[in-house]
Amino acid sequence: MYFSDLGTIALILALGFAIYTVVVGILGATRASAPLVTSARRSALVVTFFLLTASASLIISFLIHDFGVSYVQQESNLAMPWYFILSAFYGGQEGSLLYWALMLSIFSAIFVFTSRRVHTALVPYVVATLMAIEIFFLIVLITASNPFVRLPVTPADGIGLNPLLMDPGMLVHPPMLLMGYMSFSVPFAFAVAAMITGKLDSGWLRSIRRWTLAAWSIQTTGLLLGAWWAYHVLGWGGYWGWDPVENAALLPWLTATAFLHSTMVQERRGMLKVWNLGLVIASFALSIFGTFEVRSGIISSVHSFAYSAVGPYFLAFLAIIIVFSIGLFLFSLPRLHPEQEFDSVISREGVFLLNNLLLLGVAFATFWGTIFPLISAALRRQTMTVGPPFYNHVNGPLFIILILAMGVGPLLAWRRTSSRVLWRNLAVPASAAAACAIVLPLAGISDIWANIGFAVCSFTAGAIVYEFWRGMRVRHSHGEPYFLAFNMLIARYRRRYGGYLVHLGLVLLAIGVIGSNLFQIERDAVLTPGQQLNIAGYQLIYLGNIGYQTPGVNTVTAQLQIWRDGSLQRYIYPGRQFYLHFDNQPTSMISVTTFGLTDVYVFLDNWQGASSATIRVFINPLVPLVWLGGLLMLIGGITCWWPDRRSRAGSRFITDPDLSRPSAIYRPVAEGNIPTPSIAPNKTDADTVGALSEAATQSGDTCPPDRVLCVKSFAPTGGAANVPTPLADPDGTDSVGASEILRCAQDDSAEQRRSLGIPVPQTGCCVSIPRPSPQRSEAERVSILRPAGEE
Amino acid sequence: MQPALTIPKEEQSQPPLRRKRLPLSFIIAGLAILGAVGYLVYANTQANAVYYLTVSELKNCTSAFCTTQSVRVAGIVQAGSIVRDDQKQTVSFVMTDSGKSLPVVYSGIVPDIFQPGITVVVEGHYTGHGPFQAQTLLTKCPSKFQSTVKS
Repeated sequence: MYFSDLGTIALILALGFAIYTVVVGILGATRASAPLVTSARRSALVVTFFLLTASASLIISFLIHDFGVSYVQQESNLAMPWYFILSAFYGGQEGSLLYWALMLSIFSAIFVFTSRRVHTALVPYVVATLMAIEIFFLIVLITASNPFVRLPVTPADGIGLNPLLMDPGMLVHPPMLLMGYMSFSVPFAFAVAAMITGKLDSGWLRSIRRWTLAAWSIQTTGLLLGAWWAYHVLGWGGYWGWDPVENAALLPWLTATAFLHSTMVQERRGMLKVWNLGLVIASFALSIFGTFEVRSGIISSVHSFAYSAVGPYFLAFLAIIIVFSIGLFLFSLPRLHPEQEFDSVISREGVFLLNNLLLLGVAFATFWGTIFPLISAALRRQTMTVGPPFYNHVNGPLFIILILAMGVGPLLAWRRTSSRVLWRNLAVPASAAAACAIVLPLAGISDIWANIGFAVCSFTAGAIVYEFWRGMRVRHSHGEPYFLAFNMLIARYRRRYGGYLVHLGLVLLAIGVIGSNLFQIERDAVLTPGQQLNIAGYQLIYLGNIGYQTPGVNTVTAQLQIWRDGSLQRYIYPGRQFYLHFDNQPTSMISVTTFGLTDVYVFLDNWQGASSATIRVFINPLVPLVWLGGLLMLIGGITCWWPDRRSRAGSRFITDPDLSRPSAIYRPVAEGNIPTPSIAPNKTDADTVGALSEAATQSGDTCPPDRVLCVKSFAPTGGAANVPTPLADPDGTDSVGASEILRCAQDDSAEQRRSLGIPVPQTGCCVSIPRPSPQRSEAERVSILRPAGEE
Repeated sequence: MQPALTIPKEEQSQPPLRRKRLPLSFIIAGLAILGAVGYLVYANTQANAVYYLTVSELKNCTSAFCTTQSVRVAGIVQAGSIVRDDQKQTVSFVMTDSGKSLPVVYSGIVPDIFQPGITVVVEGHYTGHGPFQAQTLLTKCPSKFQSTVKS
């Protein structure tokens, strides 16, 4: 028996257990039978075990060079180093589907292990949905695209991986992107569970938000690595070509980004439930569409993936998902009425809605462009395509508005913002934008679009930096050094400042995109030794060609010097590599040298003997910012997502019906000689809680006895003060920017009394609530701060 | 959800029927964005859409757009037809499809895998006679998911 047989057996067993999980999970949920649900959870783990077994079988088949397995013979050969042989696991279609299924099962297992914090009614439906998706992949793996199919005769050697894929990028880019596609399954499963049970409470929101953040971070990584790979391997001087395959990967990212924003509106105001469910479903459907598009060959792409038999399977699956989701959606629609109403468009939720429309606009335009060949073929009976200019012209302006909204959003309060406050908050970022708009034209940048783009970017960067500065200043006034204050700010308000980091990263990325799109310089030359090419202040002097051989690879490189300002900077060796078995398909070794924020990108196009080379040189300004910004986005995303002990303690305070447990916020306050934190009457939301915990952490501070720590709130105008927004953001990480904590303000006992559950006019900017005394019951305290949302 | 502070009972339980519709400002802002997106997509589709034809479709084409607009043409590179001129950095070759053939002249960087027998897509103008002047030359990778079979 071969390992490949073990793999097939494991796949079949996994399918059996996946079917069992779905049936038992649904039965357990409908009959409210805990043993059945437990059984479903365990059998989901068994599915994971068998998929691990199948994957291990394939990897072992690769490592022992079992070329009797068709897939191993196709994707590997004896000359390949072990790490590329490992990456061949997902280098072909069959293996990539197995990898998808494996990752789905691992994520399911992670869900099973962490589901204690999820509402018990949701768990069986989530597990059943995940396993239903798994069933589809297992069926495809067993029937149409089995990686374990054996050849009638065992060849002596295999063909090997396509040389374009023999790149370090190959080790990380495809698995991240495939995992990203896959990871949208979990939020989808949560959405299905919520639509069936009607439980869209704050615990559900927290879970689905975290899983979506994880998926978002993975997909971001995959996209960035893909861009990096394209830039450093493909040799056309760019990193993003609006190719249908790239678009397919971008689409779920866009809808997931929209969801991550609009979910905050739901969290805070109980609105947009239908919209959010729609976004989750769309993200998953688009990720399946992407997996399908890549494999079906329906859209002609430069990547032009092989046409394969799995296309119809995926199309059918996509249709099932859409029909099923719409059906569930209509079924659950009556239960999804919003809890509050929109007040003003000049508000945080207004900007979130704007952001959503823009992101969906970008997604729609991208989708439209991607499937335009199909649309035009159907409507005009003539296939037409749109190229990168279409995407740049449509998505460019939309992204500029989006970045502007990113800067304005944090300056606005929830519900509505007074124009006075808005103008004051706008002062710093507007100055940054104005400075940029004045300096750049003087510095010789005449392109109108570049000026608009850079000004908007500096506006938003200014707004974000100002937000950081305000937070740091407040902490600094409590005695923290600025650097520590910066770290504490991020550590304590992960969601808020992690989000700002993502925004800052996107701004940097946008600057890089604008710079490299509008100011790229390109030049070709045929050079003989000693000849030079002058471009944008750089001199490239060609010296000659060097050829060498390593096992399985022949390499030719051109040797050049880069001179700048009369001094030699370095030697570069752009070249070509010819792999054994693929000698008619050389791969490029591109030389990218970074000077400050400018890349000198040199590509060897052709050569004659040892003393003639055709090179193409690109000067790509600001491209390093693309990678830097991308990295910052990733760090920000992980910051938002990273489990935080404090936030869990805080969330228990909100959601745990066990009132006897002391709350995280009150505990430190109740101890020792701590000044009483105070809240503004119209801010019962995250600001206040954040400020309270902020005050509590400052327990080392001492105020005079008649003074308290106090939140100063820039109250929104209008009659909104009487209706406090629900406390839905336990860790206060997404609080309104327009507030700051004043230390040791005057205690006002009159306001103190009024704040005990009685609406207070918002004129006073600073009131306090009494320190909870042991005499007051825990329930009474909770009535002050607890949203009493679910139970 | 009920709000954090205790508020009068009548405010807590608003009947869902009393819900007003979205404020006008939201509707206007939303329509403005949708309109902008719609306009951008429409205008740029008009401006940037390029006909995608095979060689035989181009040869049999009777519509005006084939000779007046930029078109994309797909075909297979004929064996032995590739002539490179390194000084002018041009390459000329013949594309075939369904028995029809089309001479092409292209200047610029030739992709790594350009060779006889592969499918290429060229974009440019065709005057109806003479060679096709290609501004871009795209090659299709053999496949990301299947390596080429050794010949």
